[in-house]
Parts: sequence; structure tokens; C-alpha cells
Amino acid sequence: MVGSQQINLMTQKHLGLLLLLPAFLMVLALFLFPLGISLHAAFTDTNGQLTLAHFVKAQALYSSDMIFTLFITLTSAAIVGLFSLALAGLMALSENRFLVASLKFLYRWPLFIPFIVAAQCMRTFLAKNGLMNNSLIASGLLDPSQAASFLDWRGIIITFVWKQTPFVTLMLAGAVSSLDKSMIEAARNLGASRLRAMLEIIIPQIMPSLMVGLILSFVTMMSVLSVPLMVAGSQPTLLTVDMAFRINSYGDYPTANALGVISYLMTSLVAWFYLRQQIYDPALNPAQS
Amino acid sequence: MKKTILALALATSFALPQASAQTLTVATAGDQNMVDYIKDYLGPMFEKSNPGVKVVAVGTGPGDGGSQKIYEKLDAQKKAGAAKVDFDVIVVHQKMAGTLAAESLLDKYRERISTGSLVTRETAENSLGANVSGFVMPMFHSQTAIAYNADLVKDVPNSYSELAEWVKKNPKKFGYNGIKGGMSGVAFVSGWVTAFGGDAVKLEKGPYDAATKANWDKALADLKAFNANVVITPGNAGTLDMLNRGEIAMGPVWVDMFYSWMADGKLPPNMKLKLVSPGMPGQPMYYAIPAKAAEAKLAEKFIALATSPDVQAEGIVKRFNWYPGIDAKNLQGKLSENDWKKLFTDITPEDLSKNGKPFPIAPYFNDILESYEKKVAN
Repeated sequence: MVGSQQINLMTQKHLGLLLLLPAFLMVLALFLFPLGISLHAAFTDTNGQLTLAHFVKAQALYSSDMIFTLFITLTSAAIVGLFSLALAGLMALSENRFLVASLKFLYRWPLFIPFIVAAQCMRTFLAKNGLMNNSLIASGLLDPSQAASFLDWRGIIITFVWKQTPFVTLMLAGAVSSLDKSMIEAARNLGASRLRAMLEIIIPQIMPSLMVGLILSFVTMMSVLSVPLMVAGSQPTLLTVDMAFRINSYGDYPTANALGVISYLMTSLVAWFYLRQQIYDPALNPAQS
Repeated sequence: MKKTILALALATSFALPQASAQTLTVATAGDQNMVDYIKDYLGPMFEKSNPGVKVVAVGTGPGDGGSQKIYEKLDAQKKAGAAKVDFDVIVVHQKMAGTLAAESLLDKYRERISTGSLVTRETAENSLGANVSGFVMPMFHSQTAIAYNADLVKDVPNSYSELAEWVKKNPKKFGYNGIKGGMSGVAFVSGWVTAFGGDAVKLEKGPYDAATKANWDKALADLKAFNANVVITPGNAGTLDMLNRGEIAMGPVWVDMFYSWMADGKLPPNMKLKLVSPGMPGQPMYYAIPAKAAEAKLAEKFIALATSPDVQAEGIVKRFNWYPGIDAKNLQGKLSENDWKKLFTDITPEDLSKNGKPFPIAPYFNDILESYEKKVAN
């Protein structure tokens, strides 16, 4: 009797594992295995010996692109943070119902536009004689001789900010709506201005959501190929373009993988900062205080 | 290991649906105009004369990267021991044609087709230093040149050094696409190194000496300074786009793309071409048949049609503005005087023979590109 119960328990346990197996195998086959291969390729030469030669080459050819990539993604993330805080704050605190309703309706649209389509639109919008400059010139705000093309690093940042602000705003709007409204109302009743309520009541409480949103945006921007390829020329450019170029033109997987490892390092660094802050900062992690 | 897996992934992603009738799969590297040529012009013509045959055109992308993809696919299928490969006809750049021939990935078909004897140019035998005799038929020859807006540029530079001076005086008015966005930028850079790097003949004819690249430091440093005053455009078409919008006044382009864009009204009518001295590179694209092509016989027939004097006259010269792949004397009587002259509007046959150069031999070519990434772009 006891024996059969044990067997029953065992099979249940196995069944549980069995149910997990497909998901586990998927992760193994589609993520861990390719990751392992790419790491292996980045650190070994043709004879299978460990080497840093691919990193030396990546450094010799693309060191400025590494700095450029960090600069573009960090700057974009910072601007995305500012814009999404402003949008979320406006939607939470504004008393103009029409404004709030139209913002709520409008801000999500870029979420549904693929990066490559956004890049294509920006290509005609930001060009020297593109829609943006032409509108500014037609409205008398810009002298035709001063019109400049934004199809360079600025174009990449503009496209990234346009694409990622809605995403972070969406996360912040969710966080704001789950806040205790009475706190904001109390602050306002006691005479705090809307800006002060935003800065001292709302932002500290939605900081974790903001950080998560920005880190996810950072990782997304690190992996976009179409935008730098279409919006800006090829030098300097983002590491994704260099990786594609090494593979497409030379079949040079080792250097491309070394660049990949450098990208992982950049994203891990950001993630590590975030995790560290979350663990040690009681303001961000109320459970600890 | 990782190469096999990546190649397999590539192979499956390229797999094409098999039709029940005969399907001739033509894989072509290069810009969109190459795909258009097969899809809209040559394919339908071949289908008409061969009922039951369907021509499928696959574009693999601009520049040497497009040829690289074709190579990886054929290489992967060979290593996997495939009895038949998925491409029947391939159209590749020069650098890759040498590799493909050397690695026995091609069929030696030229002597078997009737038009094989119509080619006389040296590029049909020798591709950037590699022997490709019998393996390839030039589809066309094309040439790079500097396009400029005659309204904006009065003192047209005649040479690379005059161009460098012009750019100093007119910052951000010259644009090219670097080396990652297509071959017109690659050609411009290779022409620069040939002009200023010393020993142009050695780069063109060999023999290869790995130490030569050390002599290019000055030329590359100058190119870096030059780049500070130019616009880096996104791609071959990107340069033409910016010329069209008046954002740059000058830039290197492919002659055929230039004429096609002019004919379509996509460039201002006052645009002109200049082939600067000591010369800019041009190249053929090659038709080849992979070893173990499933439809090898049909492929031979297809290439024979493609390199016949009629098609070379009507399709290559008249419609797509390329220089013919076969000897031009075979085209006599097939073209009106005007159509023929149109090819030489801005660049005379004398300019072409004086300043139309081949790319450097493959190992120098690779050295130039890598040195550019290391010393100019980085």
C-alpha cells in the first residue's frame, strides 16, 4: 500500500518534470546552446585553442563604434526616461481631461510600428530637404540655408526615443495607476504644487518600474540593426551593423561573436547596476526597510 | 561546428518551395536592379521560350556580402554531402568567383555553350588574380565614376588629388557610402589607395606581398582627414538619393545605376559623370553554374540566352545601361547608334580605357578593406 503510494508520488513528480521538459528544452536549444556556441567561437581559434585574438581584432577595428554604441543607447535611454516621466506625470496629474484623454489615445501608437518602418519614415522625415525641415522652413521658423540633415547619430537617437518612450510610459502609467491616490491628494491638499507632488511623491514610488523599463529599452536598442543601417551612414555606427558586416561580407563569425560578447558585457553591466541598486537602496526596495 | 550550424540555419531559411514543373533557381548578388533584371526581363523571356519552366530569382544582397551568402549556402550543401544544390544559376562578384572556382564549387560550363566564344575580355579568364577560365561568363561590365551636379560644381575635379582639394574647399558637399553599404564606396576607397598608396600595377597584377599594406598609412591618414569633410551616405542608392535631394553635390556611383535613375527621372537632369584619374575600379558580374546544380542543362540554356548578342544589346545595354559582358563587336547592328552612344554620354570610350581599372587582386583588396576599417573608420 505504502509502496504504491510512493510510486504514485514518484510518477507525479516525474510528470511534473516531464511537463517542464518542453520549455526547458526550448530554452536550451534556442538560447543556451547558441549562446554557448557564440561564446566558444569568440574565445577559440581555428585549432580550438583559447585565444583573445578576436577581441584584439574587434578592438582594433571597432573601438570607436563600441563607445558610439554606449553613447547612443545611454543617451537615448536618458531622454526616454525624461519624456516618459513627463508623459506619465501629465496623465496622472493634469486636470485637463481632454489633454489626458488625447495623450492616452496617442502615446501608444509608436509601440505598434516596427523599428524598420520607423527608420524608413525617419529617413524621409529627417533628411536635409525632408518633411521636418520643409515644415519648419514653410512656417518661417528656419532659414533654408541653415537646414541640416539629421540623418546621423541624432537621427538614431530620435528614432530610438520615438520608439521606446511609449513602452516606458506604458510601464510608468501602470505603476502610477496602482499608487495610493490619497497620498497624492494629501500632498496637493497640503499645498504641494503638481511638480512637487510629481518629484517627491510619485517618482520615488515608480522608480523601480522606470528602471526596469529603461533597462529593457537599453537591451532592445542594443539589438536593433535596421535603424542605424537605414538612418545613418556606416561610420561610426552601432555594433549590430559591424556584426552583420563581418558575417555578411567575410563570413567572419569569430570577430562578430567577439563583438556579441562585448554587447552582452554592456547589457550585463547595466543590469548589474540595477540589481545592486535594488538590493541596497531601501527607498527602491521597501521590503528591505 | 558553429559554422555548420549557422550554415544549416542559412540553408533551411533559403529553402525554396519545389514546384512540380521544372524550376530554375537563379541566385543573384547585387543591388535590387540585378534582381529586377532576372525577375522582370530575363526570367519571363526564358519562360516563354521554354514552356513549363519557372524561373525563380533570389536576391542575396548588395556588395560582396551578397556573394558571400551564395558561397556559404553552396559550401554548406557541399559539406553536408548534398546530391543536388539548390541554386541552378548564380550571379556573383569577382572576389567570390575566384574562391568558388578554387574550392571546386563551380561547373566548368563555358565551352559547352554557344556564346562561350563571344567573350574576349581578360576578366573572363582571370578574376582579381584567380583563374576562373571556363567557369564564368561575364553578365556585364560596370564602372564606377563620380556623379556631380553641374549646376553646383563648376570646377569639376579631374583626379583624386583635385577631388581632395575640392572637398577641402566645399565641406560636406561630397558623399560616399563607406565600405559597409555597397560597392560604390568600396570602389572609391580602393581607387584612393591605388592612387595614393604607390605601386598601382602591383595591386592590380600581383604578386601579393603582405607587407605592402604598411605603405598605405599616409594614404589612409589622408583619407581619414578627407572623411571629416564628407557625408557618409547609407548605401549605393543612399548616395544617389542625397544627390537627388541636393544634399550633396558629388559622390561616387555605379554608371549603370546612374543612367537608370536618370532615365526614371529620379535624378535632376543636370547631373553628370566624371571618371577621375588615375582611375576608378569597375567590375563584371559573373554568371556561373554551381557544381551539382539540379537543372544544369537548363542553366546552360539560360546563360546562353543571357549572353546572346540580342539579349546583351536589348537587356544589358539598352534597358539597364550596363556595358556588355561579351565582346562589343558582337552587338553591331543590334543597337541603334543612339542607344549605343547613350552609354558613353559623359564617359568616352577613351576615358574608359584610360581610367577604367579593375579592382586590386583579392588579397590586396581584402587588405585595403580591413586597413580602412582599422585606420580610417575606427
